[in-house]
Amino acid sequence: MLLEIGVALILAKIIGYAFEKVKQPAVLGEIIAGIVLGPFIAGRIFGIKYISAETEGIAQLGIIILLFMSGLEIGVEEIKAVGKNGLITSLFDVSIAFLFGYIAGNTLGYDMRTSIAIGNIMVATSVGITVKTLMEMKALHTKVGELILTVAVLDDVLGIVILSITLGKGQPLMILLKVFIFFFSFVLILLLMGKIKNIKFHIPRLMLTLSLAFALIFSAFAKRLGLAAVTGSFFAGLLFSVFPQRRRIIEFTRGIGEIFFIPLFFVWVGASFDFYALKDMGMLVLLFVPMALIGKVIGCSLGAKISKFKTRDALAVGIGMMPRMEVALVVVTTEISMGIFSDALAHQILAATILLVIISSILTPILLKIVKEKASTSQEG
Amino acid sequence: MEVYPIVNLKELHEKKIKDILDKKQVWNLPLVEKDANIQEVLSILTARDHVWVVEEKGKRKICGVITESDILRLIAPHRLPKYVFGKRYSVSLHHGTARKACDVMHKQIITCSPEDKVGEALLRMVNAGLRRLPVVENDEIVGEITTHYIIQILLGKR
Repeated sequence: MLLEIGVALILAKIIGYAFEKVKQPAVLGEIIAGIVLGPFIAGRIFGIKYISAETEGIAQLGIIILLFMSGLEIGVEEIKAVGKNGLITSLFDVSIAFLFGYIAGNTLGYDMRTSIAIGNIMVATSVGITVKTLMEMKALHTKVGELILTVAVLDDVLGIVILSITLGKGQPLMILLKVFIFFFSFVLILLLMGKIKNIKFHIPRLMLTLSLAFALIFSAFAKRLGLAAVTGSFFAGLLFSVFPQRRRIIEFTRGIGEIFFIPLFFVWVGASFDFYALKDMGMLVLLFVPMALIGKVIGCSLGAKISKFKTRDALAVGIGMMPRMEVALVVVTTEISMGIFSDALAHQILAATILLVIISSILTPILLKIVKEKASTSQEG
Repeated sequence: MEVYPIVNLKELHEKKIKDILDKKQVWNLPLVEKDANIQEVLSILTARDHVWVVEEKGKRKICGVITESDILRLIAPHRLPKYVFGKRYSVSLHHGTARKACDVMHKQIITCSPEDKVGEALLRMVNAGLRRLPVVENDEIVGEITTHYIIQILLGKR
């Protein structure tokens, strides 16, 4: 196991860096590193068995740290600062993306729980690639850039909330009660943290240890309530974002996360990729990927249009919100571990999500440039 | 060579912040309001290594801090981290997203009060990796403790 993990870290770094050099997300490189280490390449040639209980455990910790980091970076203050336009666009974005996923699942003949799970995968956007493209186009400071960044803040929060509500276990009333207990506890702790955030202790690295420990404990609490563990870690991140030591906690979490746990999560996702799943997933891919892309474009564009954006700018916001990456992969692996998809379907959905990540990363910059260039041309004309 | 401490460190640690604060310092603090233009922030940073951000001009209710290293990050070639969440990494001088002091500042600040002991404040600076702390009373900044200031006290220059 030690050898496999060591090799995985080096491969993930090298391939991830190579992807960054060709202006593609490093996450894709890390997934490819996993595919190389998985049963179909290194497994077949060298007899390496990367997927094990240990590597799965590390990947699960990677998920917790990734979502904790996401909550910390997004922050309670930033959520409060989201304006009317951001809120309207986010609500349209999240509800229509979810609906399109649900319709895709339903059309493919899956039951309600499976269709809801597919809807959940389509909700969270990753704007890294969009930010890079907007920077290249010198358009990050524009109204379009600002709205995309604002919507991305709420997008993850709403995505995690929907995940908690829709994937709870048990009777609907019990699920609602458990979700209520979770969010009530969150608000109570948030109020408490507001009171104690300036208490002065002099134990070295106390806040760093406490924050990480709390992320794990709050994840366990969410899991105990029948919600996904990632819900707990994300909201733990939000709770710790109110502390004066926030920047230091982010640096510490990014340190251990980026160097070790998170790349190993993406390597594990890649290693779980099943090439055999590709041959039976024709209709799934044909519906899953386009519905995921179109749902975002329609949802966000509609929200932006209602917020009085010009049609082309609204379309640019929709296209800018298309990419899926980290959180979509976290959602799909969480749903697989919750046993929502049957064995064969689990491999197919994971493969379809990886394809969605790849296609959305390639398509977004191209489409965004076309729409923005046409917008500038029509303005000049 | 023997070292003769000009000031007894143990005694210094036991002193209260208010006892070592220079009363004139309060008029010379680097302050900007949160809506101040980024040019104004940069202009102050040509002479100082940090700026305290206050809610309104003329008032001293503190809401943030901007340091040299924040500006260094803004003027260096922009690099996004591998995993991007929130808005922080999109703040850039080059891309026009850093316009006001509030776009750039650290919103959560670690503070000390005039009643704290110097030793406690120094420990807080060491633990948080900071070189300066604002001295805050009733949410208003009334002074600052910086590494420079403490060194000046150690050398008997204050």
